[in-house]
Amino acid sequence: MSGEFSAILCGVGGQGLVLLSNVIGNACASTGLRIITGEQHGLSQRHGSVSIHVRIGPDVRSPLIPVGSGDAIISLEAIETLRYFEYLKEGGVVLMNSMVVHPVTDSKAVVERKGKAAMYFDRGSVEAGFRQITQNVLSIDASEIANRAGNALTENIVLLGALSVLQEFPVQTDALRQSIEKMVPPKAKEANLKAFDLGAEASHRRFCGALPCKGE
Amino acid sequence: MSLADVTADEPRRAFMLCNEAIVRGALEADVKVYAGYPGSPTSEILDTFYEIGEKMGMRVNISANEKVAIETIAGAAMAGLRGITSMKSVGLNVASDSFFSLGYTGVKGGCVLVVADDPHAHSSQSEQDGRSFAPAAYIPMLEPSDPTEALTMVKYAFDLSERHGVPVMIRTVTRVNHQSGIVQTNKLERTAFAKVKWSHEPTRFVTVADSARRFKANMLERTKRISEEFEGSQFNTVENPGGDIGIIACSAGYNYAVEACRILGSKMPILKLGTTFPLPKKKIADFIRPLKKVVVVEELSPYLELRVTAIAKDSNPSLSIIGKESGHLSEMLEYNADIVATALAAVLGKRTPVDYGKVLARANELKQGMPVRPPTFCPGCPHRGTLASMRKALRGIKHVVSTDIGCYSMSPLEPLKYGDSLLSMGASLGVAAGMQYALEEPVIAMIGDSTFYHAGLPGLANAVNHKCNFKLIILDNSVTAMTGQQPNLGTVPQDGGGVVQPLVLEEVLKGLGVTDITVVDSYDVKEAPKKMRESFMRPGFGVIISRRVCALYGDRIKRRKGEQIVPNTVQKDLCNRYFACIRDFHCPAISVDEDGQAHISRDLCDGCMVCSKLCPVTAIKSTGGSA
Repeated sequence: MSGEFSAILCGVGGQGLVLLSNVIGNACASTGLRIITGEQHGLSQRHGSVSIHVRIGPDVRSPLIPVGSGDAIISLEAIETLRYFEYLKEGGVVLMNSMVVHPVTDSKAVVERKGKAAMYFDRGSVEAGFRQITQNVLSIDASEIANRAGNALTENIVLLGALSVLQEFPVQTDALRQSIEKMVPPKAKEANLKAFDLGAEASHRRFCGALPCKGE
Repeated sequence: MSLADVTADEPRRAFMLCNEAIVRGALEADVKVYAGYPGSPTSEILDTFYEIGEKMGMRVNISANEKVAIETIAGAAMAGLRGITSMKSVGLNVASDSFFSLGYTGVKGGCVLVVADDPHAHSSQSEQDGRSFAPAAYIPMLEPSDPTEALTMVKYAFDLSERHGVPVMIRTVTRVNHQSGIVQTNKLERTAFAKVKWSHEPTRFVTVADSARRFKANMLERTKRISEEFEGSQFNTVENPGGDIGIIACSAGYNYAVEACRILGSKMPILKLGTTFPLPKKKIADFIRPLKKVVVVEELSPYLELRVTAIAKDSNPSLSIIGKESGHLSEMLEYNADIVATALAAVLGKRTPVDYGKVLARANELKQGMPVRPPTFCPGCPHRGTLASMRKALRGIKHVVSTDIGCYSMSPLEPLKYGDSLLSMGASLGVAAGMQYALEEPVIAMIGDSTFYHAGLPGLANAVNHKCNFKLIILDNSVTAMTGQQPNLGTVPQDGGGVVQPLVLEEVLKGLGVTDITVVDSYDVKEAPKKMRESFMRPGFGVIISRRVCALYGDRIKRRKGEQIVPNTVQKDLCNRYFACIRDFHCPAISVDEDGQAHISRDLCDGCMVCSKLCPVTAIKSTGGSA
């Protein structure tokens, strides 16, 4: 619905999804936007599927995105993106980290077939799947960008930078940057802000002209 | 959010997790005592109290189990202090013995229980609907739908509790506890912690025989009074009055119902119920009287629906009641707005703007061949080593494993598929006792240290007393790992502590009469299997302690001390593609590379070295910490 924005944040445990959602939430609190999130982080072990539904808008009520109506999927792990396919609307935006964390069961299956890495589930089929309903798919090497920013743990903020560029995303860039400054440890502040900018740059290059972007 | 928002003196507008809003509400109500045992989706309530309790002048007790926790706040409340506990759905089963009696005796100081159900069983052994406990125990129940309402309800619950001398249950679900939103807090006015004097009144808090019958009569009267109060409660509201098709909803179901109406563009009257025991029967009767149809939106059991049906018998016998009994909504899993919109559309004769069935069918088709990601042990998890040792020790011997609740509950799942039964906290011991009577194969019980202290002690004493013939493995990782590495009765505090006296497992076992005790290092997959095998071969009851600190907890301590986590690497010239590291060990840090050899991710590896001990050609070495 107009004036609203809903996105799934997903990945595997340990990638900083809760921090990502808190950065967005704080930015909303400071700028008067209404936000609701629904987090799924039950078992605290690493590398399980984790997802957070983010909903921004004056009238949103459900902490879960209704099927087929999400504006975006922001994914920190490539394969996990596909797990939430049903939540994306036609023409929605997919921002995904190109990195794959292979499930242990998948590695076991590969060695049982005496295979090589090429026999893992192909990341390309994730992108191809989404192309059935949208052209707005961006796969980012967030790990490379995070390292360039000076901190390998900033992949989540790289993706946030990428999201911030979209006109449809109602949270102001300044508020997001301030929220990052407030939420991350002081010594990681600089790298996180750099990661945010580099993510924004990558997204701008991809979507500018194809989708309404901020600052045009 | 930040803890600063939870503890700030001045009102704030903050982005808060509902569990944090619950803590804030309790602090605003000047709560003095918290006691609880961690359990998803309530663990952040315990974590937050644990972090801030001392600063807020509270007594915080991470209890052995939920029963001890409820008794702890009951004791404080009998004396006159305000206390709160939090537990997951099944925690109330453990606490229920005292929960029912506390309904009888009542309390003096405010006494509030937060009980969280888990529709979809995201992180629980069942989809238990705890609402049935409230009427069974005559304990009033409030159900919030979002963080703001939760904060307000907690404050009100303390007030209600003291005015009627009754414990109050706040019932939530995962999508309420783990919902974050913008919360407006109120001014925080804390008073200093002060002990009170006991005022002795014979049988005031003693429920037996005569007094029990007296309490029962009082309880019925009390429920009537509270029921009258709830008729005018701010938590029961009617939105969009008018029309002949209405909705009755509570908890997360209310959120989905409002959103579903928006999706369909339908303005329907909605009765939102926040006080679900005792129910405001007159309010419900007034709401349904002019309606032709009412849709009841609630997750899990038809708790409201059956009661609405009973109320309609007098106030509107021809009312058509739509819900679970009518087949429009399910008793299974959690809802979402699209599920409720589909049910409403059927009632209204409308179409949903999105064909949800089609979207889901396409998604399912695209996910064909997509790998599942079953929950698994973290890199460095000591359980992976323990399980490898157990299987090695018992190679060639058919045996049966009665396991328990904890991270090791994942071992019966893919890819290990190791473990035969799992019931509830501490059940491994009792089940093993029954199995050793019935089975020809040797029986092994498996339990973590926290679960052992929670509900394993009676099962152990029972096994010793009855000379049961099975072996118990205690996976001692020092903390309550699965819920976020909270301390348990055996945890040695990192700061030296002083407030707690950690129990020593070996002493506890010896004290309970265990004579056959073996201790192994969970990472020592070379020596541990030998020691385990010797233990398994001895007749009678015995315990094997497999000890190593939880990897996540251990890493946190290392980081605090500035110690490095040194990852391993595969020496490509030595790796002969035997793949013991992948086939038998299942570590997320290890995968297959482009050359068809094992590869260890530097970012994920915890450097536990267990895989290197399992590798038949010792191709896995430490990187030596040069990075």
